[in-house]
Amino acid sequence: MVNLNTVLPKNGRNYYVALGLEGSANKLGVGVIKHPLLAEHEDGDLSFKCESEIMANIRDTYVTPPGEGFLPRDTARHHRNWCVRLIKKALQEAGIKEPSRDLDVICFTRGPGMGAPLHSVAIAARTISLLWDIPLVGVNHCVGHIEMGREITGAANPVVLYVSGGNTQVIAYSEKRYRIFGETLDIAIGNCLDRFARTLRIPNTPSPGYNIEQLAKKCSDKEALVELPYTVKGMDLSMSGILAYIETLAKDLFKGNRKNKTLFDSKTGEQKIGVDDLCYALQENLFAMLVEITERAMAHVNSNQVLIVGGVGCNERLQEMMGQMCGDRAFGQVHATDERFCIDNGVMIAQAGLLEYRMGQATTDFSKTVVTQKFRTDEVYVGWRE
Amino acid sequence: MSALPFASYSSPDLEKQFAVDPSNHQYQTTDGATTGPSPHVLNAGQVDKDKPASPKKLENGEFTALGSLRAQLTGLQDDINKFLTDRMEHAKRKKARLEEDKERDTRINKEISDLLDGGDDDNNDVGRKQ
Repeated sequence: MVNLNTVLPKNGRNYYVALGLEGSANKLGVGVIKHPLLAEHEDGDLSFKCESEIMANIRDTYVTPPGEGFLPRDTARHHRNWCVRLIKKALQEAGIKEPSRDLDVICFTRGPGMGAPLHSVAIAARTISLLWDIPLVGVNHCVGHIEMGREITGAANPVVLYVSGGNTQVIAYSEKRYRIFGETLDIAIGNCLDRFARTLRIPNTPSPGYNIEQLAKKCSDKEALVELPYTVKGMDLSMSGILAYIETLAKDLFKGNRKNKTLFDSKTGEQKIGVDDLCYALQENLFAMLVEITERAMAHVNSNQVLIVGGVGCNERLQEMMGQMCGDRAFGQVHATDERFCIDNGVMIAQAGLLEYRMGQATTDFSKTVVTQKFRTDEVYVGWRE
Repeated sequence: MSALPFASYSSPDLEKQFAVDPSNHQYQTTDGATTGPSPHVLNAGQVDKDKPASPKKLENGEFTALGSLRAQLTGLQDDINKFLTDRMEHAKRKKARLEEDKERDTRINKEISDLLDGGDDDNNDVGRKQ
């Protein structure tokens, strides 16, 4: 059993308030969250039932023109120039008039992610920590997603599929650590989808993955699935080969290369496959691979609950396929959140950071707030779970 | 009048001081010359939505203290960035020159050793014994 009230709220309040700053990729998120001080948290395993109240969840995304990805320098510039505006807006929305009195802790993403953007947000966090004399907590981005997913869906101990533009991991909790059971051997699934979107020059607003999903829905002939390499490697998977292959298909399509028998009829030269069909096939293939490695992990830990977190978790087709697999396994369930919490946001950092703060893991020593691009999920000591 | 920000650079071969001239326009704007978007994204058609806010003006038309500090730091940052970029270019040119010299020396040594090995100075006939 764990005492979540190890550190009490400031000024004798009966609730905690945390500010979270997220900026590991192209989304800058600022969130304010409130946890009530509950007696049952003193001796239990209830970190998934904090009764959190979300006081503010502000986000601004740095979007590039079609065909371009986001570069570290420009992303960091976006974060530097927007963070003060977003922090002000979040505090206003949360009704916080005096931050030095009303905030318990400032949480920020310590990693993993892109170096320059992470660094910009860490500087903002340190500045307001000094300004208002509030302790800091550096949060692991992946753990932030997991804790937010658990809190929103109420799933106590699921197998977690964390899928986003930068990470693809299958995670399960065991003895104070989030252990990685399976992961990508090369690129993340969101990265694969985004780079394919760049080849097709699909717009990046609201996100390239969302636009691929909409194109896939428009696929007319779902039976004529384009065959792509299927590269599950035991508990892991690899996606760079699939990306390379489907990019050659897309290039042949644009060039009108009639010799490609997959795309064009060998006798009439008529185009058989369009962009929608390619998007559909890519999604089906990648998601089937994810479902397989998740199921393997579930069998290993004997679980029938899955929690999908991360930006790619917004995809309805992925949720549908995972739901079918879980249903076949002794009526299991899939838990997912909507785009407010799936996509990178400040509230998830505040949630995980506040749990760490309550267990006494905050700091005012800035040498402990250095960001790092490589921060493994199992490096975090999960003191708030049994 | 509050103190102006400044910067100092020191390296084994060079020392340089950077100072702010508040009357110069460069130190009165937060839209820096070197702190804009990358040329790569601008060429791809990016519309810049992430400019920093302009310095705030008081009723008498002057900037607020923090506003003018931000503008001065932007100008100072531009100076530092330009200086460091020049240093990088200089180092790159020096490296290119050193590599050219090394290549030339290797070529000359090869010709000398060919001559010493019995070839004549007409390269077409290397390998044919006199």
